[in-house]
Amino acid sequence: MRQSAKNISPEVNLYFAGVDIGSTMTKVVLTDTADRILSAIKGPTGPEHRQLANEVMRMALEQADLQLGDISYIVATGYGRVNVPFADDQITELSCHARGVSSLFPNVRTAIDIGGQDAKCMKTEKGKLVDFVMNDKCAAGTGRFLEVTAATLGIRLEDMGDIALKSTKKIQISNLCTIFAQQEVVALLSRGEKLEDIIAGLHDALASRVAALARRLKIEPDVVLTGGVAKNIGMVKAMKESLGCEILVPEEPLLTGALGAAILAKEIYMKATAEGEPIPTKPRRLEKATFFQQ
Amino acid sequence: MWFMGIDIGSAYSKGVIIRDSELAAYRVIPSGANYQTAAETIRQELLRQLKLSQDDIADTVATGSGANNVAFASRQVSDIVCTARGINSIFPQVKTAIEVAGQSTKVIRINEQGMVTNFTVSEKCAAGSGRFIEVIANVLRIDLKDFGPLSLKSKNPITFGTGCAVFGESEAITRVTEGIPKEDIAAGVNKALASKISSLVKKIKLEEPCALCGGGALNTGLVKTVEQELNIQPLVPPQPQIITALGAAVTARTSNLNT
Repeated sequence: MRQSAKNISPEVNLYFAGVDIGSTMTKVVLTDTADRILSAIKGPTGPEHRQLANEVMRMALEQADLQLGDISYIVATGYGRVNVPFADDQITELSCHARGVSSLFPNVRTAIDIGGQDAKCMKTEKGKLVDFVMNDKCAAGTGRFLEVTAATLGIRLEDMGDIALKSTKKIQISNLCTIFAQQEVVALLSRGEKLEDIIAGLHDALASRVAALARRLKIEPDVVLTGGVAKNIGMVKAMKESLGCEILVPEEPLLTGALGAAILAKEIYMKATAEGEPIPTKPRRLEKATFFQQ
Repeated sequence: MWFMGIDIGSAYSKGVIIRDSELAAYRVIPSGANYQTAAETIRQELLRQLKLSQDDIADTVATGSGANNVAFASRQVSDIVCTARGINSIFPQVKTAIEVAGQSTKVIRINEQGMVTNFTVSEKCAAGSGRFIEVIANVLRIDLKDFGPLSLKSKNPITFGTGCAVFGESEAITRVTEGIPKEDIAAGVNKALASKISSLVKKIKLEEPCALCGGGALNTGLVKTVEQELNIQPLVPPQPQIITALGAAVTARTSNLNT
């Protein structure tokens, strides 16, 4: 998917960047005029890594063999988008996700994104966001639910999906609250239930919560699942069962927001250039992002 | 005559013995993983304290989410009925009881006979129950018994951005690292809980006099915040955590006197 900037034909010499600062991960995608992905880097946001946007950008530039000054326009998105000093514009993650997903799957109508701190369902038409619902109020409907219960079980988060697939018995997790589900999981273990069945039950519980959210909109194919949780194969299966339809997953489900931001950066820049309007940009210096006010 | 009431909750198990209408002994222990063991431990400790044997107990009623684990009880009665009876036996004038328990919060309307006339129970949500206090006390590394007094010192309670205990926990950690005083975080928890209680109370007509009970009522800061936010003057029983167990014992006595 990635191409070296040097191999691109000489008339294509404009580069764009999307910076997506999520609650858990910071993502940077660099693209060219043809929306080709030149580099894509993920790094932790984390409470102690709040100021790493410049670091992730530096790595992305290095991978594409570019300098920050080569980038024509930079769009920041995500929860921490407001204070990326080198970004020229900020666009909500909903619009960026919708754009990014549409560029990968042109027939997408419903995009579901499950992140570490929220879950959202977006309806798109021709790459544009037309409607959305989101949950950022309750951890039980987000990736945090699996993160917390994985820790309770002493299982690595990235192993949860594979273990869930081994399940042979349906266990219903009755508690909708993450904190009480932790207790329930311990009780189920002490009752002798198998780890894989409990973990599959946790996946089903999260899937049914997200599906209930998504059903507040009309679910139409193609349905695409993104966000960190889409990397979990057990969750993809549970979501298919809960929604009763096929689900497409991009190769890099974490990057759609940053990709969309980069594509929107190009569109804003091209439109301004076509209209002959000069477009203001920020100084091309890799300063630390003050994600929160110091 | 002696009667026993056992209330097995998700976090704590409570037991009382009453002699006629007098509270003779009570016990509160963590429920742990095995509710049967918790029930048995409470029974033995209560009997030992009063130097009684099981034969001296005329009847035992079990209640709470783990009521069916109390093998020695003659029957199980709903915790809402028991809370109403317990409050009525201490404060006969009370018309509304608010119980802040370990997994949920309940608002119960009670008539003069101690009967339930209406009630509403919160979703099982840690942020709407006493569990939120435990979660944040753990972040602040303070004892539960110090939570109320500490929160009362706050002049600037924080406002939590979400109504979820998991997100609230992360938020509290961030506030601690930002140097926000512990009392302001603790007071913020009370404010968040009071607002959840307030929205629950809206579903049911709150008539005064009212009482606040359950483990949450041990938190003096929460009691004060509820007073201010809901503009009510709740009565708080001396042992708010054992009210439901007391109600179970009262239920045992009442039904035995009637037969």
